[in-house]
Amino acid sequence: MNNLRNNNISRIFFEYFPLILLFVSVMNDFDFNDVGLKYFSFNFSYILIFYYTLKRKEALGYISLFVAGLFNDVIVGLPMGISSLLFLLLCGFASYLRNITLRPNLVKDWIFFLITLLIINSFSYISLVFIFEYDINHTNSIVNTLFTFIFYIFFTYIFHFIENFFIGYRNAD
Amino acid sequence: MEQSRDDFVIAIRSAFLKKGAQQRFSLLGLIFFSVIFLILGSYNFKVVDLVKISIKEIVYRSSFIVSGPEKIIGASFNKITDHINHYSSYKSIEEKLGKFESKDLSNQIIMLENIKYKKLVDDYFIKNNEIFAKVLIDKNSPFLRSVVLNKGSKNNIKLGMAVLDGEYLIGKVVEVNFFTSRVLLLSDINSKIPVSVSPNDIQAIMSGDGKQNATLQYIQGTDFKNNIEDMMVTTSGAGGLFKSGILIGKINATENTELNDLNVDVFKDFTQLKYVKVISFSKEEKALDQTSKKELKTMDAQILEATKQKENIRILLEEKKIAAEVRKNIEEENSQLKNRIYNLQTKLLDAEEAVEEQTFQKEEMEFLKLNLLYGHKCRKTLFNKLHKVGTPEYKNCVLQKGKI
Repeated sequence: MNNLRNNNISRIFFEYFPLILLFVSVMNDFDFNDVGLKYFSFNFSYILIFYYTLKRKEALGYISLFVAGLFNDVIVGLPMGISSLLFLLLCGFASYLRNITLRPNLVKDWIFFLITLLIINSFSYISLVFIFEYDINHTNSIVNTLFTFIFYIFFTYIFHFIENFFIGYRNAD
Repeated sequence: MEQSRDDFVIAIRSAFLKKGAQQRFSLLGLIFFSVIFLILGSYNFKVVDLVKISIKEIVYRSSFIVSGPEKIIGASFNKITDHINHYSSYKSIEEKLGKFESKDLSNQIIMLENIKYKKLVDDYFIKNNEIFAKVLIDKNSPFLRSVVLNKGSKNNIKLGMAVLDGEYLIGKVVEVNFFTSRVLLLSDINSKIPVSVSPNDIQAIMSGDGKQNATLQYIQGTDFKNNIEDMMVTTSGAGGLFKSGILIGKINATENTELNDLNVDVFKDFTQLKYVKVISFSKEEKALDQTSKKELKTMDAQILEATKQKENIRILLEEKKIAAEVRKNIEEENSQLKNRIYNLQTKLLDAEEAVEEQTFQKEEMEFLKLNLLYGHKCRKTLFNKLHKVGTPEYKNCVLQKGKI
C-alpha cells in the first residue's frame, strides 16, 4: 500500500482524479445523465462538481469547469456556453456554502444541493425554452433533478471512501 | 442584523470574486465570459463560430476515443445476450423466413408497379447522393436525441439530408461541420416530419416523444377503429425534402386511443445505430418520351415474369401442402395399423396362455384318474420299496399304469 501511495503516477492520478472523472463523464458516449431506463436519469457532473468544490476545492479548477461545460454542450447539442455557466454557478453556490460553514454537516449540504439544483435547473430551463426555443420534456427535467438530489448522498459516500483511500497522498504532500 | 448581512456579503464576495491559490480567473469573471460566449454564439459571431467548430471537431473525435472502453463492454454484453437468445430467435427467424420468401415476389411486383405508376404521375424520386457514415457519438441525453456522424461537408453532406438505417428513416442532418455532422433523430421532441399513415393515406406531422418513439400531430378526424394494428407510417414527401414512402414505423394504439394521443413505434432502435446512409433525393428528369415508353414495356415484361414466377411458386406451395396432407394421412393409417397388430399379438399371446393352461389341466385330470386306478401299484408301503407319493418317479409310474 505504501508503495502505491509513494508512486508518482498514483499521486498524479489522485490529484487529477475528479478532473479525469468529470471529463470522462462529460465526453463519454454513455454518461450518467440517462441510462436508458424509463423515467430515470441523473446528472453526475453536478454531483461531482458540488462535492469536490465543497470538500477539496483545488481539485477542480474554474477553467477546467468552463472547458468541461463547453465539451458537454458540444456532446449534448446545447447552445455552447450554457453548461459552462451552469457548472460555474454550481461551483459558486458550493463555494458560498463552504465559506459560511463552520461545522460541515452532510444533511445541510444535501439540502443546500437541492436548492442549488432547483435554481440552476430553473435557470437552464428558462434560458433553453424562452431564449433558445428548445422543447424540453418537463417530466424528464423534474425526474433528472430528483434523482440527482437523491444520488448525491450515495456518491458522497463513494467519493468520501475514495478520498480516504488516497489520504496518504495528501499527508505525503 | 447588520452583522449577518456583512457575513453574507463577505461569503458571496469570497466565493465569486476571490481567486484561489491555483486559480487564474475569478468565478464571476468566468461566469461573465460564459454569458458573453453564449450571447455571441447565438448571434453567430464569426470568431465564436470558428472556436465552436474547432471545439466540435476536437470533442467529437476525443469523445469517440473516450467512449471506446464502454462501447467494447456494451458490444460484449450484446454478444452474450445474442448467444443466450440464439436458439429461440433462430426458430422464430426460420418461421418468418418461410413466410417472407413467399411474400417477397409479391413485393417485387408491387414495387415495380409502384415505380411504373409514379413515373406516370411524375412523382418518381431517385437517390442523387448516397453516403455511408459511421456513428461516432450516440448521445442519450434527455434534452436532445441526436447522433454524430464521421462525415461532414468534406464528403458532400448537406443540411436537411435524410438519414436511413437500412431502408428505414431515422432522422435528418441538422448540423454540418467539415469532418462531422449531427443527425437529429426522429425521437427528438424538436423533430417534425410530414408523414402519411397507410392504408388510408392520412396526412400528419410526426414529432418525437423525447425517448425512443414518436407521436402524430395535426391529424384530422378519421376513423381509426378499423385495421388499427396494420397501420404503417411512411414519409409523405410533402415539403420535397424526403421522397414519399420511406418506412418509419407502425401505429401503436388500441380501439380506445384518442386521436390526439397516437403513438408511433419506430422500426429502428436508435440506441443500436452503427452505420447509416445519408441520402438526398431528386426527381427523375425524364419525360414520357420513346425511351421511357421502352422502359415501361421492359418493366411490364418484368412484372409479367415475376407474376409467372409467383404463380409457379403458389402452385408448388399448394402441391407441397397436398403432399404434406397425404403424408399426414399415411402416417395416421400406419399408426392405426401398428395399433391393430399390437392388439392382435396381445390376443394371440392370451390364447396361447389359455391353451397351455387347458393342456396342463387335462394332464392333471388324466393323472388323477390313473392315480385312482394304479396308485396302489406305485405307492411306497412298509412291505415294498416303491415310490414316495408326490415325487416325479411316482407320477411317472402312475402315468405308465403301474409298470416300473
